Parts: sequence; C-alpha cells; structure tokens
Amino acid sequence: MSEVKAEAEKAKKPQQTPGTTSTTATKKPASGSEPAKNADGTPKLTNKELKELKKQEKLAKRAAQKESAGIVSKVSAEQIAQNKNKKNQPLPVVEKKATVKKPEKKNSLFSHLETKEHRNELSLNQSQTLTQIHPSIISLTLKISSYSIVGSIPRCKAMLETFTQVISDYQTPEGTTLTRNLTNYLSLQIDYLKTSRPLSVSMGNAIRWLKQQISLISIDLSESQAKTQIIASIDDFIREKIEYAGKVIIDNASQHITNNSKILTFGNSQVLGDLFLHNHLVLNKTFQVIIVDSHPLFEGKALAQKLSASGLSVKYVLINSLSTTFQDNIDFVFLGAHSMLSNGFLYSRVGSALIAMKAKNKNIPVLVCCESVKFSDRVQLDSVTSNELADSELLIPEENKGRLNISLRNFKKNHEAKPEDTQSETGKKGKQQQQQQQQKKKELQQQQDAKKDDFELSNWKNNQYLNIVSVMYDLTPPEYIQKIITEVGALPPSSVPVILREYKSGGAN
Amino acid sequence: MSSQAKDINFQTDSFVEKLKRRQISGSYQVALETCQLLMKFVAATRWTHIDQLIVQIRLLGKRLESAQPREFSCGNVIRRVLALIRDEAHEDNNNNNQQTQNTTDSNNGPMISSMFSLLSITAEKSEQEPQSKARYHDLKSAIIQGIKDLIDEISSIDEGIESMAIDLIHDNEILLTPTPDSQTVLKFLLKAAKQKRKFTVLVTENYPNGTEKAHSFVKELTKAKIDTVLIPDSHVFAVMSRVGKVIVGARSVFANGGTVSTAGVAAVCECAKEYKTPVFTVAGLYKLSPTYPFDVENLIEIGNSGKVIKFSESELFHNTDVTNPLFDYIPPEHIDIYITNIGGFAPSFIYRIVLDNYKNEDVYLS
Repeated sequence: MSEVKAEAEKAKKPQQTPGTTSTTATKKPASGSEPAKNADGTPKLTNKELKELKKQEKLAKRAAQKESAGIVSKVSAEQIAQNKNKKNQPLPVVEKKATVKKPEKKNSLFSHLETKEHRNELSLNQSQTLTQIHPSIISLTLKISSYSIVGSIPRCKAMLETFTQVISDYQTPEGTTLTRNLTNYLSLQIDYLKTSRPLSVSMGNAIRWLKQQISLISIDLSESQAKTQIIASIDDFIREKIEYAGKVIIDNASQHITNNSKILTFGNSQVLGDLFLHNHLVLNKTFQVIIVDSHPLFEGKALAQKLSASGLSVKYVLINSLSTTFQDNIDFVFLGAHSMLSNGFLYSRVGSALIAMKAKNKNIPVLVCCESVKFSDRVQLDSVTSNELADSELLIPEENKGRLNISLRNFKKNHEAKPEDTQSETGKKGKQQQQQQQQKKKELQQQQDAKKDDFELSNWKNNQYLNIVSVMYDLTPPEYIQKIITEVGALPPSSVPVILREYKSGGAN
Repeated sequence: MSSQAKDINFQTDSFVEKLKRRQISGSYQVALETCQLLMKFVAATRWTHIDQLIVQIRLLGKRLESAQPREFSCGNVIRRVLALIRDEAHEDNNNNNQQTQNTTDSNNGPMISSMFSLLSITAEKSEQEPQSKARYHDLKSAIIQGIKDLIDEISSIDEGIESMAIDLIHDNEILLTPTPDSQTVLKFLLKAAKQKRKFTVLVTENYPNGTEKAHSFVKELTKAKIDTVLIPDSHVFAVMSRVGKVIVGARSVFANGGTVSTAGVAAVCECAKEYKTPVFTVAGLYKLSPTYPFDVENLIEIGNSGKVIKFSESELFHNTDVTNPLFDYIPPEHIDIYITNIGGFAPSFIYRIVLDNYKNEDVYLS
C-alpha cells in the first residue's frame, strides 16, 4: 500500500513545478515588476525573486532525482539537467511576459485550483517526453479534454481499455524487469493523461489497483505471459467493477421505480440512464423521468435524447426552474456520483447538492447510485477547497468568441493604427483635412464602441475585476441523502468508510 | 363624447395592447407608464361624484390587470391612486362636514384615523348631493398632483434604497445576487462601491432567460471597479458557504412577505437558509401588492421553451416536455429583510405597510 501511495505522490510532484512558476508569475506584476527594472531596462533580481529561483532549483533537482530513479534511460536525466539550466536563466524574462499577458486578479474564490492554462503548460513541459507516450493515450487525452468522454465511469473504462492497448504494445527495455518498469512506464502515460483533466476518483482507484496487480506478477513469468495476465485482469476489472456492478445496482434500484412514478434526475449518469432504460424496456414500467440540466455542459441533453428515443416520457428542465419542477409530485430523486467521500459526502456534478437540498426539504427521498470504485478515502467539507475548474470560456456565448472574434479584433487593430499614422504625416496640412480626419476618427471610435458592446465578456481575462468561474463538482452533505445503492448493497452515507475498509482489505488479498 | 375622452380611450387601448404584447414589461416601466396613463385618465374623465371616478378607475384597473396578470406593479399603482383618491375625498368630505356641522353640532369632529369614521364614510357618501364645481376642480387638481408625486416617488425609488447600502455591506464581504436583471440591485451595489466599500459580488448568470442581462450587469459592476465573479446557476450551493449576504431583486412583494422574482431565486434563497446566510430583498414600494399569494402556481409565468432546447434540436426530443418558467415564488421564511425606499422591514411586517398604502376596499378590483 505505501508503495502505491508513493507512486501517487510522485505522479503529483511534476505538476507542482510549473504550477508554482506560473502562480508566482501572475502574482508578481502588481508589486514587483516596476521597481525591479533598472534604468536601462535590465531586470534586477530582488530578494523575493532570488528566493524563488532557489526554490525552482530545488524543485528541478528533486524532479531530476526522481526521474533518474524512476526511468532508467540516461537521456531523460540529461534532459532534466538541461531544463534546469534553462529554468535558471530566462526566468525573469518569463515573468515579464506574464505581466503583459494578464493583470492580477484577486479574490476569485477558486484561484487556488489548477487551471486549464496550468495544465496546458504542463503538457508543453512534457513535450520532450512525448515520444514515450503511446498514441492511444494521446487520443484519449484529447477526447477527455474536449469533454467528448465525460462521466467518471466512461472515463475510467476508456482509460482501462486504452491501458490494455498500451500494455499489449509495451516491451520491457533491456536490463529491467516488467514488474518494475511497466509501472513507471504507465506513470508516464498517466502523467500525460492528467494534462487533459485531473483524474477522476474511479480512475485513481483503478490505477492504484492496476499498479498493485503489476507488482504482484511473479518474475518467473515470461513477458508475453505477464502481459496477457495483466490484460486479462484488466478485462476482469472492467467486467466486475463496472459492468456487473452496474447491473447489480440497476437490479437493486429498480424496486424504487413503480408504474406511474415520477423520478427526477440531474445531468447524465451512465448507470442511471441504463437503469431507466432497463425499467422501461425490460420491466415494461411506465413512468416519467424529469431531467434537470445545467448550463454550460448540458449533459442531461444526451440522456433526454436517449430516453425519449426509447419512448419513455421525459421532462427536460434547466436548474433555474427547480422550485417550479418540485411542485410536481416527485417520488424519488436519483443522483449519479463522481465519488463518495469517506465522511459520507457525495461529490458529484455541480448542481446535485442544490437538488438534493430541495428534495430533502420536500421530503422526497434522494438515492445515489454509485459503484464502489468511486469510493474515496478522502474527506472534504466544502466544495470550494478542492474541486476541478471547468472551462470558463464556455460561459461566454458562442457568437462572442472564437475565430470571428480574433479576425474582428485584428480588423479593429488595423483601423486603430491607420488614422494615427496618417495624422502624423498630414500634421502640417490644412485644417479642413484635420477636421475631416477627426470626424473619421470619431466615427471609427463609435464603431469600436459598438463593437466593444458586442464583445461583452470575451476579453474578460484582461479585466482585473472580472472573474468567470465554473467548477465541475459540488459536495452534497450526507443529511440530504437517504441511501446509496452500490453493488455491495444499499447503505446510508455514514457507512461509506465501512465499505472502503472492506474494499481495501478485499483488494489486498 | 368629447375629443379628450376619445383620446384617452384610444390611449388606454394602445396601452392594454402593449401590455399584452409585453412591449411594456418590467415592473418599473409598467408602474411608471400606468401612472402616466392614470394621470391622463383622471384629467380626461368627468364625474359628478367622486365615487364615479373610483368606479371608472377600478374598471380600468381590471382591464390593465388582466392584460398582464402576473405584472402586479400595474395593479399596485392603480390601488395606490385609488387610495389617494379616497383620501382626498375623505378630506374633502370632512372639510365639508365641518363647514356644515360647525353651525349645528361639532360633535362629529375630525376622527379620520378611527375605525368608526372609516366605516361610516361610505354610507355617508352615497347620500351626498353632487359636488359643487369649485370643489370638483380642487379635487381633480389634488388628485393629479398626488399622481405626480407618486411618479416622482417611483422614479426616485432607487435613491431611497441606495442610501441604506452602506449600512448593510461590510468591507471585504462576498455578496451573491441571483437577480442580475434588477436595476435596483445594480444601483444598490454601485452606491455601496462609491462609498469606498471593497466587496466581491458573485453573479449568477440566469441561464437561459437573463444571461445577456447578467453579462451587462457584470460589465457595469466591473466598470465601477467592483470585484465580480460570474458563476453558472448550478454553482450556488457550492459557493454559498463563502457568501456573506444574498441580495435579491423582487418583481413583486405580497402582503404575507413573500416575493415573486426571477426563476432560480427560490432555490438560492432556500440554499441561503440552509447555510444561515442572510437574504435581503430590495424592492420599491410600488412592488408591494396587497394580495396574498394563495395559488403559487398561478403567479408564475412560463416563457419560451425554445430557449431551453433550441427548436432546431427539437426533432431529437420526441416525448420530451420542455418548460421554461420565468419566475419563482419565494416564501417569506426564506427572506430576512426587505429594503424598501422607506426603510428596512421584516417580512412579517409587510402587511402593515400594505395597510398604510392601500385601502382595504380596493384589494380586489373586480
């Protein structure tokens, strides 16, 4: 177990390095950038900056040590060393760039969370190791980062399936054993995968399990035998922990769906979609499903489409009409989960908590369907401290962003530049022309103003006072949840740690 | 029929049509325009006794209310004007009575505030002979002046509310507003920022009905250098633990202290209650309605469902009901304080203010 944890920590560390650089870079400009410059414009290092540089060095050293300990190839160690040199020298320049890019934003409530930009930087930093990444992992990373694979179970399943491919293509380098090197190789793949989105709890659990499986393989087995054994156990895992687990949950949850009942659900949970379809198509029950959805991801749309195509009666509403929706006589609220935390909190798509609260106040039972892979030993008390940031750009209406925007902006820039140039040339000419130009300028400005209104929030990143925040998950307190349905039975939220213990001890066997 | 009367009929018709087409919407706009119409109406109408005017205005009020049944500010303004007319008539009567009675018996002096005189007046009135011409003109100009005062009051309502801003927001506070479509909330916040308070405002984006308004709201706030965070509606529960106060703009306020506001606000207020976060509602006096919200479902207007699912996508959803309610009813127990232009009140006290501003006999216009 401790080994596994160490692995996880290792996996986390490289993330921190670029994270710290960028945060320091963004924090700098307000206080440091002006006085830091000498008269000739060369950057002068303040004490603070020196300290940071030292920090960077340390981190780089640590990273180097880790890498050399982990992956055998000397090349990567050299690369790290190079990196280290690079990092030491041009750091102040990078900081300057950052000042131009972004004004400091304060008080954003979620500023401690890792942004997409940080992750992008991370993937850039990893570009040297890109050659070692399996192409199927790259494609999976893309799919996950573009939200074309969403939901913790689909992501986990896709990841495991990709791993079988990766493992079957894997060849142990000379001088090491499969047990030792494969885990490192996989860690590398996982690090890359993390640049798309943070790993889901189910993915983390699956990875931990897989690494343990790999470490348990006896050294006597030949490489191909070992690989087939691992792949077989991955297939078993998918079947047992995801597919069969889903079926058991559906069997258990079906008892709550009766004819003419009204069921409310939020977003799009894989297992819930299957549950409704199973009850409608196989068990021939007639009932209504109310799907509550939220901007900007609209995951519920897919579920609504799937269910209505099968002939089930569906009501589709957005989360702002929650109170009106709850005036119907709803029998049950079914929620999906991203994770169940050890203190009984449900960590799920943002908005779930609002619905659970509303249901609790209306005395409607809230049932959570959750596979036991999603159980996490983490504890958390509120949604702000630890969460995943979603893409804030999604909140800006389509027409205000994208390529159109850039081309318009360029257009604007060109027009802004022109009149100034011409004015300097014609400065000595007659007054009439000047007046004309001024008029033109006014007109242009009016046009620009009009355009600015059109842009609305598209350049919010340059606005010091504006923040657009969207996160992926929120926490539902255990008081709101009546029952959690898992493949190991139905239980109250307070029993989550019990299952965790059982599950862990089962996994160790 | 005089040309003036024709003209006012025409104006009333066009106003009713505009209300029906929602060309005039938003309680502020509706209230102001109703006032203006009433002023013209009073000027144009002729009556021999004040009760005739009251009856006519009540009829007009009924028409206007049914044109946009969920816009209460229209009915509220009419009731305010009716109360004003009744007060004027009352005063007029008293003066008259005093003049006549002083000679005979001064026993029945000015007992304006007593219940007895309130009840007895209606009985007295019907017996009275038509008013003299001078009194008629006096009364008319007094009523028109009263309506003008009302217009002034409505248009300067934000000032009254703004003045309380500084007392309600402390430094570095995080506020949440789920009604970015409310101008009153905007002015309230801007005023607080002007008075050198540093605070952060979380603004829900009110998808799909108020997103544009939310964006311009956010823009206005950032122009005033207020730290602003735009969040989706679903994030309310997630951030509520960090929020110091919730500011809600009301559409209309009922005598029981409940409020109708933008869709989504009820859930926000309920959530605030869960977290014991204070909720205060800002509303001008003209939003106060003397009715009680007995049938909550009736208060809620349903909007264009094409905003929830685009009509171009509708083929994909065969058996799907899609609804888009525009309003929410918030029960009084989810609201802590009402900030009006005449001060702050607890929801349980609203009925008293209703009594101050409206007459009981005008609660139901029909």
